[in-house]
Amino acid sequence: MWLICLCGNARAQQVLRWGADPSGGAPYVYTDPANPESYIGYEKEMVDALAAAMGRRAEFVPSDWETLVSALQRGSFDVIVNGLEPTGDRAQQISFSNPYYIFQLQLTVRHDDDRIKSLDDCKNRTVATLGNTAASRLLEQNGIPYRSYADPVGAYRDLELKRIDAVLMDVPAEAFYARNNPKLKPAGPPFMRGLYVIGLRKGDFELKSEVDEAINKIIVDGTLETILKKWGLWNQAQADFQGPIRAGTQKQTDVQEFTPTTSIFNWREALWRLTRAAAVTVGLALGSMVIAVVLGLPLAVGQWKGPPWLRLFCTFYVEFFRGTPVLVQLLFLYFGLPVIGIAMPGWLTALVGLGLNYAAYESQVYRAALEAIATGQWEAAYSLGMSPVLAFRRIILPQAFRIALPPMTNDFVSLFKDTSVAFAISVWELATAYRELANASGQFLLLGLAVSAFYLAMSLPMAHLARLLERRLRDRATERVAEQEATA
Amino acid sequence: MIRVTGLRKRFGGSEILKGIDFEVPQQTVLGVIGASGSGKSTLLRCLNGLETINGGTIECDNVRLEASLSHRDYGKRVKDLRLRVGTVFQHFYLFPHLSVIGNIIEAPMHVLHTPRKKAETEAYELLDSVGLKQAAGRYPGSLSGGEQQRVAIARALAMHPALLLLDEPTSALDPRRINSLRTLLRGFVDRGHTMIIISHSMGFLAGVADSILFMEGGYAVEHGTTEEVLKSPKDDRTRDFLQQAE
Repeated sequence: MWLICLCGNARAQQVLRWGADPSGGAPYVYTDPANPESYIGYEKEMVDALAAAMGRRAEFVPSDWETLVSALQRGSFDVIVNGLEPTGDRAQQISFSNPYYIFQLQLTVRHDDDRIKSLDDCKNRTVATLGNTAASRLLEQNGIPYRSYADPVGAYRDLELKRIDAVLMDVPAEAFYARNNPKLKPAGPPFMRGLYVIGLRKGDFELKSEVDEAINKIIVDGTLETILKKWGLWNQAQADFQGPIRAGTQKQTDVQEFTPTTSIFNWREALWRLTRAAAVTVGLALGSMVIAVVLGLPLAVGQWKGPPWLRLFCTFYVEFFRGTPVLVQLLFLYFGLPVIGIAMPGWLTALVGLGLNYAAYESQVYRAALEAIATGQWEAAYSLGMSPVLAFRRIILPQAFRIALPPMTNDFVSLFKDTSVAFAISVWELATAYRELANASGQFLLLGLAVSAFYLAMSLPMAHLARLLERRLRDRATERVAEQEATA
Repeated sequence: MIRVTGLRKRFGGSEILKGIDFEVPQQTVLGVIGASGSGKSTLLRCLNGLETINGGTIECDNVRLEASLSHRDYGKRVKDLRLRVGTVFQHFYLFPHLSVIGNIIEAPMHVLHTPRKKAETEAYELLDSVGLKQAAGRYPGSLSGGEQQRVAIARALAMHPALLLLDEPTSALDPRRINSLRTLLRGFVDRGHTMIIISHSMGFLAGVADSILFMEGGYAVEHGTTEEVLKSPKDDRTRDFLQQAE
């Protein structure tokens, strides 16, 4: 009987599913370093307080910052609580609660950098920020070149590694990740004021009024102030914002009043950016293929004819790069190598990483091709007085190359598509461009078609070339047989 | 002049050549006969340095290859030997990615560093002498077996070898072509070449070889003039082999 009652109660208590990106998400919501199975953060505590005020049970749905809005629309969770700013773009897709926090922006530079004192000094520098934030929009509006990162950790690390010149970030994140880093310093005071709101599905009116009421409640009863003070986020801006609400003189701030920047989606601009991204993709593919083609040969020969230690090394290399995901390899090169003092920019990391990875595949193509050349060819070359090196260079390699060409072309086509993993290390190539533009605009379908068209426009000619080569080689082989039969 | 003394070759535990001695005077042809597995092919591969010898010596022109040489000296001597010995393989092993003329000038240009012009002139002369001048620009894949063989002969001769080795040159030829090959090879001998030919065709050897070496079980059982060995063999084993060969 008791059991049934308990179950009934549990069912009656509604859930508030909230989505946020916990990776590099401090101090909003992030994995508790002391207890990796649970999440902490000021927004986590705030949502718990909100849920309590609503008589609900909060349930956190870890998600990805870039796709929060579409995940909300898909129904993965009911609300976004992730330092979300009420921008015009988002207003077209979702609705907002009343604000709960006033954020400011802070520019950060390396501690020994005196060139940059404010955003005005950044015209010809590279500034990093999170994609699709108030900061990124501000940079875009001012025509400052910027690179979007998926989390603040990567941005500040690249600043330390001199891959970029400055980071522009919301104060909460800046306070947590950069304020106490002796290698970094703030450039100028915090500036601009913006709002954090809770994102809701359009038409979810009941939930919106429930949420607004709860926000009001935790502001008035001081719960929010306690939480913010605990996290060191209480400042004059919060006092200015909460004062009138708590005094009851102002019910709530109008969201639109604070909406900082809005960029309207522009197809011409988007296509131009996609074209530039496509150029990066082509450059990446060509560059890494050159590395792969050049490096693959010594690997193949080493594994084929080398002394035992070299054969072991080459086999290990090949198995390592074929047996681990290229994404992991890139992350290792980008974030792991700087630990031992090798910090390459993202594009170079992608170039080298994909090149090293594909060298493993190319070496196997070569090895198969080299082994396919009959021993008689070597012996004929030797009996003509050729040295092993000369025989290899003049007799074996040209023949093996013909055999290897079609599979190499196929590999190039797939390398071409694999350049998309470079998005993981913030290289602005075609896949990254799609993700960012689509997230900013919600045009997943149309942009997806456009991006696919770009990929196909580049990979179809390659596939065609591969088929052409294969057919030519096959035709030549059959021609030989036919002629031999005719003359026999 | 070619002189082989006490030539031994072992593969693992089994000895394939058990002490071979023979000489081939300048401008003559030695035919080597024997059943499969008698060691004929291994002998040929030792003569052009494709196999490392385990005992004895091979002398060709002024190059003397000895089994007792140090590893380094042996390697150098093999290089010299290969420059003196040309080989026409049973399956020719032409370079399929090079044209007929390319096959012939490849080694002169890159091993002897003959200028291209000179190498080509010589190659055309050789092609003319094997009757394939018009095929210079064609690729091996489009040639008949007989044509490929003649290109292989021209390719080997382009290196001016002191000795030409031919492995089973008649195996892929019809009787008419065997005849013309005999004429061709005798023509080269008249012009000063020395050859060793492995063949199963006694008729062919009768018309082309000056002397015959019969091998069995890794031994040179009988060596004499072509007439002696083919008509009146001294050794019973030779007689048995020749009877079965007919």
